[in-house]
Amino acid sequence: MTATISDTGSVASTKASGEGARLRTASKLWQAGGPLVIFVAMFAVVAILTPAFIGSGGITIVAASAAPILLVALGQAFVLNIGSIDLSNAAITVLGAILLAMLLGPLAFAAPIVVLAMVTLFGAVNGFLLAYTQVPSFALTLGTLGIFKAASLVVSGATTVYVSQNKEVVSPLYTTQLAGLPLTFVLGVVVAVIAYLFLRFTRAGMGMTAIGKNESGAIFSAVRTRALKIAAFALSGFMAGLAGMTIIAQAGSASAMGLGSDLLLPAIAAAIVGGTSISGGVTNPLNVILGALTIALVPIATAAIGVAAEAQNLVYGVVIIVVVALTLTRSRTAIVK
Amino acid sequence: MTKAKEATTPVLRLTDVEKSFGSVHALKGVSLEINRGEVIGLIGENGAGKSTLLKILTGMYQPDKGTIAVNGSTVKFRNPRDSAAAGIGVVHQEQSLFTNLTVAENIAMNGAASKGYGTTLGFYRWGKLNKAAAQTLEIIGSKLNPKTRVGDLSFVDRQMVEIARAISVDTSKNATPLVILDEPTSLLERGETAILEREIRKLKDFGSVIFVSHRLDEIIRNCDRILVMRNGELVADRVTTTVTEDELFKLMVGHESHATAHERRARPANETPAIEVTGLTRKGKFTNVSLSVHSGRVTAIVGTSGSGREEFSRALFGAEKFDGGSIVLNGREARGWRIPKAVKRGMGFVPAERKVEGMVGGFTAAENIVLTHPGDAAFGPILKPWKRNKIAQQWFTTLDVRPNDIGQNLERFSGGNQQKVVLAKWLSDPELRVLVLDHPLRGLDPGAAETVNEQIKAACKKGTAVILLADTLEEALEMGDDVVVMRDGVISATYDLSVDNPSTLDLLERMV
Repeated sequence: MTATISDTGSVASTKASGEGARLRTASKLWQAGGPLVIFVAMFAVVAILTPAFIGSGGITIVAASAAPILLVALGQAFVLNIGSIDLSNAAITVLGAILLAMLLGPLAFAAPIVVLAMVTLFGAVNGFLLAYTQVPSFALTLGTLGIFKAASLVVSGATTVYVSQNKEVVSPLYTTQLAGLPLTFVLGVVVAVIAYLFLRFTRAGMGMTAIGKNESGAIFSAVRTRALKIAAFALSGFMAGLAGMTIIAQAGSASAMGLGSDLLLPAIAAAIVGGTSISGGVTNPLNVILGALTIALVPIATAAIGVAAEAQNLVYGVVIIVVVALTLTRSRTAIVK
Repeated sequence: MTKAKEATTPVLRLTDVEKSFGSVHALKGVSLEINRGEVIGLIGENGAGKSTLLKILTGMYQPDKGTIAVNGSTVKFRNPRDSAAAGIGVVHQEQSLFTNLTVAENIAMNGAASKGYGTTLGFYRWGKLNKAAAQTLEIIGSKLNPKTRVGDLSFVDRQMVEIARAISVDTSKNATPLVILDEPTSLLERGETAILEREIRKLKDFGSVIFVSHRLDEIIRNCDRILVMRNGELVADRVTTTVTEDELFKLMVGHESHATAHERRARPANETPAIEVTGLTRKGKFTNVSLSVHSGRVTAIVGTSGSGREEFSRALFGAEKFDGGSIVLNGREARGWRIPKAVKRGMGFVPAERKVEGMVGGFTAAENIVLTHPGDAAFGPILKPWKRNKIAQQWFTTLDVRPNDIGQNLERFSGGNQQKVVLAKWLSDPELRVLVLDHPLRGLDPGAAETVNEQIKAACKKGTAVILLADTLEEALEMGDDVVVMRDGVISATYDLSVDNPSTLDLLERMV
């Protein structure tokens, strides 16, 4: 279909505003509204099957578990948007959480700032290696994933690190609620809104999207591709660090194997369910909020339907495939990798 | 339509073929006949319906109405394989060979292999396969080794493989093959075009040819009859001996050519050149290349594909490195030369590979226009979309981009209109000092080509220095103030056209 339009484009000239534009609006509408429809459907399943859950503070629980997924997913969305992938960011979350747990005692209010600076640097190193060695991001971050995991084990001494004092610096993030939603989730929403504005209305955001859509075209348009790649990975590290902070706020402790250590796949799933393209150049951080909520609902929906907890990953898998199949914009001659 | 009522039935006859895509009426009842041994020229602007017609002939699309008859019997092509089986072969504009396979495999790929020819139970029988390929190559007079990997061949040799593949469609049914050449010359250099033209004359002996090209001189030189399409209709069917290039242009575009002659500006004696290149060298690509271009002048660089002119032009823009020599822009030397820096210093570059390097597909036309100079549509780092749309709309009006929809994905415009947008992206920089154009007219129809050339001249008038890698020697002589000839990485001749008057033959002599 796309090929035809380009061919007959000038014949169509003025007339094209008819069906072509309508089709375009329809596909744009679905791209924008698809994740909402899917979230509402998922929510409806849970609400109908377990009405008690919704009434008894279930929404708070869902929002709390969605918060770290959302933050890691937003970072992933930035990296996916430039046409790369960051397999290491969830490991950065855990490392950041461990570092925060250790530093809160001695540094108090300075600890979150120091830790966020460190994780941003970790992300930037990923980006720097990608930009200058041109090792594909999948291989590169698979490598750094291992390094960050090992670092977590070494730093924590392979045990659970508890926050010794000054816990109150971050704990209000979890304990304070705004309209029934924990602040950790509100933080995720705020970050998503800023990310949305950044991508839509700044030169740097436009440059990043250009890289994802066509890197050669971006290079020849004088887009600073290396700097922007480093920035995207740095943002991924930063947001992973924020996710680490929400974990400390919630649990008050961190360990290499504990809370947050299995965030990688749910976060990628949330980004994709939120309409982010795996091949780059397409993302909407506002929809990633819905993606994270949808993913956070999966375990609850699984239980509601009566599937055994062991089969939860099966439901994850099915949800991802179905959702992507529903939200994908297809063309007959498209090449899929 | 034609009076061809000889004893022989036409190889191909279309009757009232129509095709619509939604509200777009791409073909509005096309009827035509092609006879044995005829070379038909098919011309028309981008979007006139040529590609739709070709796609119907090759089974990619099915017509909404009308019939197709091959050798007198009505056929229905459900897919490209049906069309190939009926004896229609295509040589695509952008080559569609498998570069990692051998010549023989590529020739066999055209459905022949799937019909048991050269294979047993899906396994290749290499001996048979190579022999059949050698026979086909012999018919078209090519001496290529069937066992060569296609990736190792030159562009024109690959085209020979494409032709061999196109004619290998039918040897069993005793029918004459119809070969469609879809802009086969648009990527060829001068010498290679001659080889192809010889091939077309050879094809006449055993088949018919539909030759699609935007180069009207080529069409007139090679074709017996010329069909002109405009807005989905066949507007003219002329015997070649009765038409001129001007007439064809008018038939295609619907109005006469407005092309103005380039006002030559003599080389100013004591003015700093906009760009001065001294002894630029890149090992293995170009050596000791020096030239200077003054504001408002055009230097056309000509050369064959191995001349190093492409690499040289990319080095000027910081897209490729150079090992030695210097580039001086407006009196200041270029150091640490990379694309963002070159653009900051007032350079622009229109790459030959439009879709890959020239534009960002998926972005709207408006976004593409402001991508390189976002500062004009931004407040600091913050974009101002309304300003962007205003700038884009101005360029759309100036360049008559169709459809006039700045919010449409640039991928969906036709090639000519895409190129206008790519050009606007650079012209929108008021500080544009040097514009390097690598084959700016590649794949454009004459109407779009005229607009692009007019804009280049307008930019010159405003003081931009232009370095042009022309598609043809005629284009170089028409647009250039200076013509620089490159051969094997070095400059073999320089002509100042305000003084010298070289012919295309003179240039050709220095090229090879």
